[in-house]
Amino acid sequence: MLICEDISFDIDGQKLFSNINLNIKPQKDLLITGPSGVGKTTLLSILCGIQKPTTGKITYNSIDLYNLPENKIDEFRGKNLGVVFQNFNLINTFTVKQNLEIAVSAIDTKKSIPFFNILDRVGLANKSHIKVANLSIGEKQRLAVARAFVGDPKWVFCDEPTSSLDDKNANIIANLIKEESLRCKASLVLITHDSRIQTLIKFSKILKLGDE
Amino acid sequence: MIVGITIITVSILVNQVTKETFSKNNPGLDAVVGAKGSPLQLILSSIHHIDIPTGNISYKNARKIIKHPAIKSAIPISLGDNFQNFRIVGTNKSFLKLYKANLISGTAWSQPMQAVIGYNVSKITKLKINKFFVGSHGLIDTGDVHAEQPYKVVGVLKKTGTILDNLILTSLDSVWNLHSVTNKDKLEITSLLLKYKNKTSSFSFPRLINKGTNMQAASPSFEISKLLKLTGNAHRIVDYLSVLIMILSFLGILFTLLNNINERKYDLAVLRTLGFSRWKLFSIILSEGMIISILGSTIGLIFGYIVYESMYYFSIVGRSLELGQLSFLNDLFLIWIIVNIIAFITCLVPCIKVYKQNIRSTLLNS
Repeated sequence: MLICEDISFDIDGQKLFSNINLNIKPQKDLLITGPSGVGKTTLLSILCGIQKPTTGKITYNSIDLYNLPENKIDEFRGKNLGVVFQNFNLINTFTVKQNLEIAVSAIDTKKSIPFFNILDRVGLANKSHIKVANLSIGEKQRLAVARAFVGDPKWVFCDEPTSSLDDKNANIIANLIKEESLRCKASLVLITHDSRIQTLIKFSKILKLGDE
Repeated sequence: MIVGITIITVSILVNQVTKETFSKNNPGLDAVVGAKGSPLQLILSSIHHIDIPTGNISYKNARKIIKHPAIKSAIPISLGDNFQNFRIVGTNKSFLKLYKANLISGTAWSQPMQAVIGYNVSKITKLKINKFFVGSHGLIDTGDVHAEQPYKVVGVLKKTGTILDNLILTSLDSVWNLHSVTNKDKLEITSLLLKYKNKTSSFSFPRLINKGTNMQAASPSFEISKLLKLTGNAHRIVDYLSVLIMILSFLGILFTLLNNINERKYDLAVLRTLGFSRWKLFSIILSEGMIISILGSTIGLIFGYIVYESMYYFSIVGRSLELGQLSFLNDLFLIWIIVNIIAFITCLVPCIKVYKQNIRSTLLNS
């Protein structure tokens, strides 16, 4: 279970958001919406252990995330969380398959990873040896989703996964995220200001940021 | 880095082997008496068989020195010919005792035009017992041979690790016969290798020879230490140069890694988001730098040794050098360790930069 208690974040002494309390049960989904600039991406970074909050506490199955040493936070993120970043954060000089392999090497897992099956599920099986720089936006998004789910994470965070896509591709990505979350039995936290997403995925909880 | 280590390796090898060779080639001789000229040249030509002799001295006068009460032992040598660049030395059998030489096969010479060959001579020229060869006039093979009077090999010496391995020994009579010297009063030798009865003679005896005769007496230890001091300065300059090259290569490693990190800072931040810890990235960057350093320094050592070996095979001077009991290995290993410790410290700079990287701001700025 993911519990956030009284999360707040200041930038240069000014509050971006405060007193955010969340409680996400296993295999439940949370949609965080709100207009641009309210701190959705910052909140996601805080939940993922990338950005320390100004105040508050985040616990994953009773592990206090920011109480861990920094190295352990990185390792925890690699082993338990999957993240789809808004701008993908793929390594452009690597091939599609290498981007998955490097993500797996961070986990230090001993089980063999069926890369072909994963790429097949996201429709990139025939592009495994193509460099990321040569992929379209839709393909990059699919690869980012595949990478987030490659280690079978228990919590998955997606930041604006459909905002830059047309309806067709948005539909594909939303379905992909939904299917992969079910396959991994993962809790999904999705951040977006894209109103189409609610018609594509049914969320058990919705948090609207910017609503005072 | 490879160039720097190569130069240092060659410098160490040449320095060590030269010192070792000079020390091993002198079996405790106190002085060499020969024709006037450069004393160093006399020592180099008579003991180390590198330089050309200063000239000849009268055997009649030399015999007077042999009988001098200060002299414990005196061995005459006569140079002038070679076989395939290996010097033919006319001497007496005491020369073999001086170097504690033992025969692998055959015996010592018993009559003129018989020769005992050193270990390397036998190996390189393929000469064996009962084989004949003709000497060539001069100390370097010119093709001007004494075809009418060949030498017969009667003995082959065991390896000694000294200059003896590169010499062909024969009687003084052989040399005199070959050069048609029959008048006993006109017999000449190149030099006399002396040991004193008492070390105090090392002050008085040379003065006696240098002032009272047309010959000179030179001290091997004094002349060689002078030579090593001179070459030592040259070695120091080479060492400074190689240290400068090493410093440049350390800076090269530093800036290459810093540049790499700058170019890959986005990728490194992505790796952090995937679960690579700061320490893991720190160790990856450190490994990259150390692989460059270890490979570079090891290849440098190998190149240095190859250059040294080439020197041995392709130069006549090199043939006079003998590699001893690999005593230089400790020095080379020490340098290899020091180089890699400095490289390790150099690599820490980019590693710390990676360790301190803020992933969120890096990703946002990219």
